[in-house]
Amino acid sequence: MPENIALGKSLPRVDAMEKITGKATYASDVYLPGMLMCKLLTSTESHARIVRLDVSQAEALPGVRAVITGKDYPDVRFGSGALKDRRIMATDEVFYIGEPVAAVAADDEITAREAVELIEVEYQPLPVVVDPLQAIRDDAVPVHEDLESFEGYGFAGGGNNCTLLDADRGDVVQAFKDADHTFEETYQSQPINQGFLEPMACVAELEPNGRLTVWASTQGPYQVRAQLALVLDIPVSRIKVIAMELGGGFGAKLRLALEAFPAMLAMKSGRPVKLINTREEAFTLNGPRLETNIRLKTGVMNDGRIVAREAYSIFDVGAYLGAGPNSGVGHALGPYRIPNFKLRSYGVYTNKIYVGSYRASGVADMTFAVESHMDSVAHQLGIDPFEFRSINAVEEGDISVSGARLPKNGLRETMQALKERLGLPKIMGEDRGVGIALGEWRSGSGPSTASISVNDDGTISMLTGSVDISGSDTSMAQIAAETLGITLDQVVVPKRDTDMAPFTGPSGGSRIVYSQGKAVQLAAEDARDKLMALASDRLGVPPAALVCEKGKIYVQDNTPQQVTLAQLASMSLTSPQGPIVGTASLSSMPYAPVFNAQAAEVLVDRETGRVKVTRFVQAQDVGVAINPMSVIGQLEGGAVQGIGRALSEELQIDPETGRVLNPSLATYLMPLAVDMPEIETILINVPTDDGPFGARAVAEPPGFGPPAAIANAIYDAIGVRIKELPFTAERVLAAIKGQEPKAGFIDIEALLGGESPQE
Amino acid sequence: MKKPLRLTVNGETRDFPVEPYYSLLDALRDELHLTGTKKGCDEGDCGACTVLMDGVPVTSCLVLAHSAHDTQVRTIEGLAGEGLADSRGLHPVQQAFVTYGGLQCGFCTPGLVMSAVGLLQDNPDPSLDDVKYAIGGNLCRCTGYSKVIESIMAAAQEMRNNNG
Repeated sequence: MPENIALGKSLPRVDAMEKITGKATYASDVYLPGMLMCKLLTSTESHARIVRLDVSQAEALPGVRAVITGKDYPDVRFGSGALKDRRIMATDEVFYIGEPVAAVAADDEITAREAVELIEVEYQPLPVVVDPLQAIRDDAVPVHEDLESFEGYGFAGGGNNCTLLDADRGDVVQAFKDADHTFEETYQSQPINQGFLEPMACVAELEPNGRLTVWASTQGPYQVRAQLALVLDIPVSRIKVIAMELGGGFGAKLRLALEAFPAMLAMKSGRPVKLINTREEAFTLNGPRLETNIRLKTGVMNDGRIVAREAYSIFDVGAYLGAGPNSGVGHALGPYRIPNFKLRSYGVYTNKIYVGSYRASGVADMTFAVESHMDSVAHQLGIDPFEFRSINAVEEGDISVSGARLPKNGLRETMQALKERLGLPKIMGEDRGVGIALGEWRSGSGPSTASISVNDDGTISMLTGSVDISGSDTSMAQIAAETLGITLDQVVVPKRDTDMAPFTGPSGGSRIVYSQGKAVQLAAEDARDKLMALASDRLGVPPAALVCEKGKIYVQDNTPQQVTLAQLASMSLTSPQGPIVGTASLSSMPYAPVFNAQAAEVLVDRETGRVKVTRFVQAQDVGVAINPMSVIGQLEGGAVQGIGRALSEELQIDPETGRVLNPSLATYLMPLAVDMPEIETILINVPTDDGPFGARAVAEPPGFGPPAAIANAIYDAIGVRIKELPFTAERVLAAIKGQEPKAGFIDIEALLGGESPQE
Repeated sequence: MKKPLRLTVNGETRDFPVEPYYSLLDALRDELHLTGTKKGCDEGDCGACTVLMDGVPVTSCLVLAHSAHDTQVRTIEGLAGEGLADSRGLHPVQQAFVTYGGLQCGFCTPGLVMSAVGLLQDNPDPSLDDVKYAIGGNLCRCTGYSKVIESIMAAAQEMRNNNG
């Protein structure tokens, strides 16, 4: 076996130098001549009709160049998917506190802010509903009166229901009758913010030729382009989106965010316009995750086999379906073989900030419920929780909820590795406990393209349309390098925009290395085949006898007979086929699940309720780690986000008005270095058949397990099960004192007025 | 109205007019276009704007520009090329972040690096806890901190070796 050149090596990132020297350019670092600064006026009402909106004083303020309101935009609604329920700026009605109502562009930020304060708005309040468990009722106050007129609305569920996801198999009713034991529990996840360090930012400029250039902080430049074209009612070809360095997104920056405001102001003023969100706006303007209530029912036989599962999930979408529908319901079985199931997930409107995406939206909430419930059931049955999971774990050939056949995977190896690292069961001592959780994700798919051109010095330029997140450019460059037998420093990775790069799906859902990386591998193979053909002509031997390695192509049995890639690149300029460019396009990739297993050890202070994670271990089947340092970095980062979700992070929402009460990093508590245990990470390598060099997705699963693993560890420590996130000292102390949690039993049938409407 | 301000930034003395309400961060970014220093919150909570002012790490968003008059300010742009640099001119802390994967999205990185440089100036042989507390005011959402801490410990070792 020849030694790898780039694959599997912990090489520094291709963008390391510009980032470490402060030279990397993020959207907020763009300064253009004559650039104006934009500020937004947002709604102070939870739900109200706009009776009067007067911008004349703002317009009259010296230094103000343009003011826009919702009426400046074409009368269109857009959405995150099929359901088009949202206007980019309020017109006659506002639906949550923080909804954009007007925007100003002025010579400087302070003038823009002053102008915003001069805008007069008169609201006529309308009825408000904030609690999703109230909003789902048939007799609830409607958030959107005209819901049924929305394009893409296909669910007549009554109340404020806007989406339903369902899945059924077998005979659930009979299976529960036949089960030896039945267990039923309700869990609740909390609203959380994505916590990206770089606030949303954008600069927009109208070019002399009438095209719009947008410097964006985005994971999905083509999504921004498409949605911007929709809300401005102009062709996509009139918009160029330049994806700047991305300072964290985690799902929050997948779609159109604030770009339409500076864009419209730039069109109106004729000047470049910049908008940078404040940190407060990062909490109040941009869709977070909202609360999900999950009820699980499980039928089990005496030998520990699960025979039936029923799951109801009520998913708060806020004022608009900014992301969704809630994919978590597909994970309501967990990585377990359950022959009979009935799964339902309802999305419900409320008067609060619209829901967005965040690192495997919905699945993390569902994993908290399922993996806590598994532990609870195991304890009630008197079976070891690890053993209970082992009895029920899926195997190759099982059929997933969506009907796909489970391919070769590393679930068993992952579980075993975790068990071995944790060591033999030990007495943890008073107030100490250990808990585990399993997780599952599918490697993300979707349209992917790549183009690789061979430069005349023998280096290559790798062009993709995707935005780098968490080192994906480096991993893709390693894939290209390995395929062509060159070193990583021979790969040029240009910054790109939607004009120059081929279309690709957004950087999200753990799809880049698996799907986009596959396109890179295929494009590199295409380039290699072309180089081989040319070398074959030159050397007079068939391509099959040639090897492409170390910057040259040589005859396998006669290495001195060789030609360098640089020579081939020069030759190609006058060859019949012309310059060498490898390309590849694909629209989807085969189902390739990713499994992980995580464990937390905790110390619970019974006096204060404080929970400290003293050890955290995780194992994940990554297929093949293209860049182990990058893979481990993502797994560590994901685990810490999950620990934050478990222990401290909570977007506090006022139950009366839906207002976000803690829109700052001082009050929204993300993990700090001082809070974190060392994260022990084990990579399991069960290669996929189709991913590049066998790679699987990486980044989503590590965030799934921490809430359940920590909940299970708390139970192990003090015998108290906490079913609501996060496990703050107050909540843990209340549970220790035996106080009833807020998330009691949810009577789904009563909420929905009888059986669920689709039956 | 703008008033004259004198700062010595990365060794170069600069005289320029700045609005009285400007923070040191805004002066660096908007007036000097030193955009390596990042604005993550503008409220002193995230640490992305950390610079060294007369050798001490400060969150530059909480320092009024004019209160920094006549001080020495060091930013991420001024680190490379000084002293113990490697062939590419990086400071050992920068080099360690590159080698050990201490950066991902890079937005918190300049602040983290400046906090680390500030720490190692005063404490060349820090414990793990010393490092954790020195970066206790720097939020990072990508890395989970493990590789950041590893990078800073490695940089400390490297700097001790070079000085030894």
